[in-house]
Formats: sequence, C-alpha cells, structure tokens
Amino acid sequence: MSSCFDAALALVLFGTSAAAGAVDDFPGIGRVATPAEIAAWDIDVRPDFVGLPAGCGSVQQGREVFSAKCATCHGFAGESDVMFNPLIGGTTQDDIETGRVPSLLTTASPFQRTTFMKVATVSSVFDYIQRAMPWNEPKSLTADEVFAVLAYLLNLVDVVPEDFSLSSSNIAAAQERLPNRNGVTTDHGLWPGAPASEGGLGNGGQPDVVAVACMKNCAVEIMLGPSVPEPMRQAAGDPAEQNRTFGAVRGTPLHPK
Amino acid sequence: MSRITSPTGRLRSAPENFLTQEDIRAVNAGRREFLRGSLLAASAAMIVPRAVLGADGDPAILQLPSWSTTVGQPVAARPYGMPSEHESNLQRRELPGLSKASANSQSFTPLQGLLGIITPSGLHYERHHQGWHDLDPAQHRLMITGSAALLVRRPKVYTLDDLMRLPPVSRIHFLECGGNTGIEWGNAMVPTVQYTHGLLSCSEFTGVPLRLLLEDCGVDFAKARYVLAEGADGASLTRTLPMELVESGEVFVAYGQNGEMLRPENGYPLRLVVPGVQGVSWVKWLRRIEVGDQPYATREETSHYVDLMPDGRLRQYTSVQECKSVITSPSGGQTLLGKGFCNVTGLAWSGRGKVTRVDVSFDGGRNWRAARLENPILDKALTRFNVDWVWDGTPALLQSRAIDGTGYLQPNHRQLREVRGTRSIYHNNAIQSWQVLASGEVNNVQLL
Repeated sequence: MSSCFDAALALVLFGTSAAAGAVDDFPGIGRVATPAEIAAWDIDVRPDFVGLPAGCGSVQQGREVFSAKCATCHGFAGESDVMFNPLIGGTTQDDIETGRVPSLLTTASPFQRTTFMKVATVSSVFDYIQRAMPWNEPKSLTADEVFAVLAYLLNLVDVVPEDFSLSSSNIAAAQERLPNRNGVTTDHGLWPGAPASEGGLGNGGQPDVVAVACMKNCAVEIMLGPSVPEPMRQAAGDPAEQNRTFGAVRGTPLHPK
Repeated sequence: MSRITSPTGRLRSAPENFLTQEDIRAVNAGRREFLRGSLLAASAAMIVPRAVLGADGDPAILQLPSWSTTVGQPVAARPYGMPSEHESNLQRRELPGLSKASANSQSFTPLQGLLGIITPSGLHYERHHQGWHDLDPAQHRLMITGSAALLVRRPKVYTLDDLMRLPPVSRIHFLECGGNTGIEWGNAMVPTVQYTHGLLSCSEFTGVPLRLLLEDCGVDFAKARYVLAEGADGASLTRTLPMELVESGEVFVAYGQNGEMLRPENGYPLRLVVPGVQGVSWVKWLRRIEVGDQPYATREETSHYVDLMPDGRLRQYTSVQECKSVITSPSGGQTLLGKGFCNVTGLAWSGRGKVTRVDVSFDGGRNWRAARLENPILDKALTRFNVDWVWDGTPALLQSRAIDGTGYLQPNHRQLREVRGTRSIYHNNAIQSWQVLASGEVNNVQLL
C-alpha cells in the first residue's frame, strides 16, 4: 500500500515550504514537527483505511501470536470473559450476508455483547490492536503481527478462510463481510456538530425523548419496580461507612443491628 | 469529651420490601392514606438522635474539649493539607464486580456528601482504559497533525513550557461519563447515589483554547471538519470531535484543575476539556490532535460508547450529555434523622447549556414544585439546587427533574425506555426516584 509513503512525502514538502510564509501570532511558541515525529505518533487508521500501514499476516501466524500474547485474557478462540467482554461469538453466516447481528437483542446474557457483534468497521479493530494491545505491552506488535492477529480473529468469525493472509490490499474486502457492518446509525441528536444535512452527522441536536412538565395532580401511575438486588447491595458496601457520622442524615447500616 | 451516641446503633431496621403488592395496588388506586395508617407503628419508633443530656445540660458544652484547653498544631504541619480525619467516609469507590481489570474500570464520586458544585480534585471520579500514570510533564509533548498533509500547514509540537506561556482561560464545567447511571437502564441495581450517578464531577479547568492552537498550526478549517484527540497512556485512547465545537472556542487543552495542576488520575499534565460532551472525549494525558475530513470510528466509537436501540442498531458518535438531575441528599442508603425540617439538595446539569429550572416531587411525580437554584448557574456546569421540606414521618417518593435553556425536560424512565429500550447502557438521564420509608430509611427505586 502506498498511501503512507505519499502522505509522508507530502508532509516533508509541506513542512518546509509552509513554515516560511506563516503568520505567527505567538512567536517562540511550539515548533514544526519533523516527519519522523509525525510518523512515530500518527498511528490511527480510519474506516477508509487512511493511516493503514503496509503489511501482511496470515491466519496461522495470527493464531501463534494470539496464543502467545492474547489468549491469557481473551481465551485461545477469543471467547473468554475472564478479563474483558469476549471478542468472538454471537455472530452467524446469515449476519455475514446481511451485515446485521440480531443476537445483539437477545436477553439471555445482556452484558456479553462480543466485539464482532458490534463493530461495523474493521479499521477500528486494527487501529485498537495496534495502539493498545497486548494489554500489558501496548504498541509492541509489528504491523505484520497486527494484520496476522486481525486475520485470525476474522477467521474465527468466519469472515475469512483458514488459509487467508490479510494485508493492506485486501482488508477492504474483509470489511464487506463484517457481521455488523450495517448495524450502526448516526441518526440521533447527540452529535454536537453540524448535522448530516450539512455534511456532518446526526440530526442537529433534536432530542428523541420529549417530555412535558405537568405541575399539579399529574396523572401518574405509581408502580414500583423490583428493589435493588441483594448481591448488588452487598457489593456496594456499607452506606454507614460511606456517609458522614454527623449532619443532616446518616448512612443506613448494611447489616442492621 | 463529646458523648454523642451513635445514631446508627439505634436505628430501627425497615422491612426489606416495604411496599407489598397490595400496597402498590393501593397507591395505584390513588390511596396514600393507607401508608399513614399502616406505618404509624414504624413512625412511632422513629429515631431522633440527640446528644445525651446530663442534669445540667450537654457535656459537650459543660466539659471543655481538649481543643479548647491545649495548643494546636503549627502551621505547615501538613505542607499539602488534607481533609479532616472525620471525613474519611467520603471516598471514591470502585463497585466490586463491575470490571475484572481495575486498570480498566471506574471509581465513583461520593455525591451523597458533597456540597456546592465543585468536586474536590481528590474525589473526582475515575475512568481509565489502561491504567493511569504520573507522567513526567517535562517529557510530555502535544503534537498537532492532519489526516492529510494539506489540512495542516505547520504540524507542530508543543511542550508544557509552550502551552503555559499562551493566554489561558479558566472555566467551570461538569464532566459526566456516558455510562453514568448505565447500570440502571433495566431496573434499580445499586443502592446509593454514589453508584447510580457518581461518574459525575465538576471542576474549574484552566488551559488554552484548542482553536488557538489549530490556528497557530495553520489548519484548513474549510476541509478539516473533524478532530481526533489521542492520549499518551497505554490505551492511547482516541475520540472524534466535530470541528464546530472547537471553532466555538469551548474546547480547550487544560493543564489546570481547581487552582492547581490536573491530578494524575485526571490526565496530568494535559487533558482535553469538551464541555457538555461525555467524559470519554475529554482525552487524558493528551498527546496528539489530528484534524481530518472524516470521523474516525475509533474503538470507543464502535465497540464501546455505542447505544443499542430497540431495533438492534447501535447509535454511533453519541456525545452530548442531555439535561439531567439527581437529589443527592436525602438519597439511597441514607436515613433521615427524624421528622421535621429537612433540606433536600441535589445537582442538575445539561450538555446543551444552562439549567433553567429544577422541579422536585415528594409523591412520585403527582405534584411538583420548583427548587431554588443556587448561584452560580453556568453553561454546561453542575448547578446546585435546594428545596425546603418538612417531613411528617410518612413514606414519600422523592424525585427531581431539570429543564435546560433549550426547553428540554428531563424524562422519566418510562418515557426514556419507550424510545430507547432498556439495553443502551449509555446516556441514561432518567428521573431518579428515592423512596423514603416511615423509618426514615431511603432506598433507590424505579417507577415502572
């Protein structure tokens, strides 16, 4: 892939030419970054794969790296929740066809939404492995190793076959088979920038939930839901030790005397 | 010496489920009298903790305490002052079991005991994605780059020396995790306001507007409509921001917090301040800003901080913290001292501007009255409210609801769930209900 090279070259050319003609409101503050400095930190990878490094890694290589550096937390097949939510599971061949993951709505295990049930962009996974993994040694993998680990994960999800090698030239094809690629929306009011109609995202801040303020004799049905589960009450500790022992109130003892 | 008896030792314990199904049906039928009648016995046992008086009066007055009869400690005995040892119950706390890796977890601010709107820096909530470091500020750098070279004429590097020479701003803003109250989408899950709402803090931050730095680097604002912020920690956490927010001048690169430098847990020596937007975007240990022409779909925008809707779609780039409020005292896990006057206090905030009104209900939302908003009332900051209440010893259901400058009214759980279901995790700004029992005990409850 040549985009990295093009970008770096352009930076070199620009870094030297533009600095000369600059209007400097704050003389003496900061300095122009060198191309090597920019390359050292500019590790982000976008959904259109801008920023993706050159490289290549096979499913088999990925399995080896994953077994050595990732499996302790994630399990050998990315299925473990011993440390984090599982990476793999909950997706089907149907999902790969449709690009939607219905199991997101199952109520069987609400907090076990796996990574590949959710992500809509394969770049996000590459970017994250490259910047933050392995957990105890972030940023230590080579680009080839990141490609390999991602190839292994994609194979576990049945996005790529066992004999596949993932590279900067075919990652876009993997994107087209990502299970939840059609499962996200930006049509909401919680984006604080320009709306989609003006080239941004979302609806320009229109709230989706609209309530009306009644003040007197409001028609409210009062129906209490279940009380706080006892194990959660125990886990949260003793309120008597979480409040002042003087003042307007006291903490209610967890174990009444 | 003081002989204040421990009030907690004399409290009457309340039944686990005070309202039976029959009681609830009675409430639904509009009959509240039953509560008064059936709970008289409990009310009679109410505790009003008082100092034990001797024949001549209060020993705390009659017998001079040691601090009135001896010399105290010298100045600078503690060069960096600490809270009184009697304040040790107010700590930030992790909820055991919420995360299996404490470096990828959160600790909650003890809102139940805080006063005013400023969170003491040492009690500011924490959310780390790969642990925190106390990094060397002399070795820290901020770099500004572009996703394409043409978007930034001069990609630059700034040291803390550089940044602290620039003209600063100081502003008070709330900071709320997008996952605050996230555990409560389905039903009441945690007993206290520390755990229901404690991923919330408010500080005065000091730093340099990001717009100034982007202008200094010659950013092409016509093309670069998105901003990526990146941390220097192991996670090197990244989030996308809209350039509109930066252009407004609101977003700044902060090094100061409450009159001193940021605390290490809060991003020392540099973090982004993104008023009104969820905490994850306030990138800590900020090392890099990249401007671009597209959003970035980072891990925290695809696998986490996405809101699952009832149609199975995940809302992406949800960022604004909508108007919300909570009564912080009396609140779950607390017990009232007794009948009589009780100030009800709480916090209100909106990611869209100022809070304009807070209403409080004592009967589960049938009737409301406006609370007093205490000054200052600031954009995208916590606002303290208070309301007078004379508790007659009967059960009550306390709620607060806030309205912001856009006219948006904080919804109740039912209204929120009708649109967003119960699986979202993020951006739960529903009205909180606290049930006061005749015993004075306060519980976290949800009205269906």
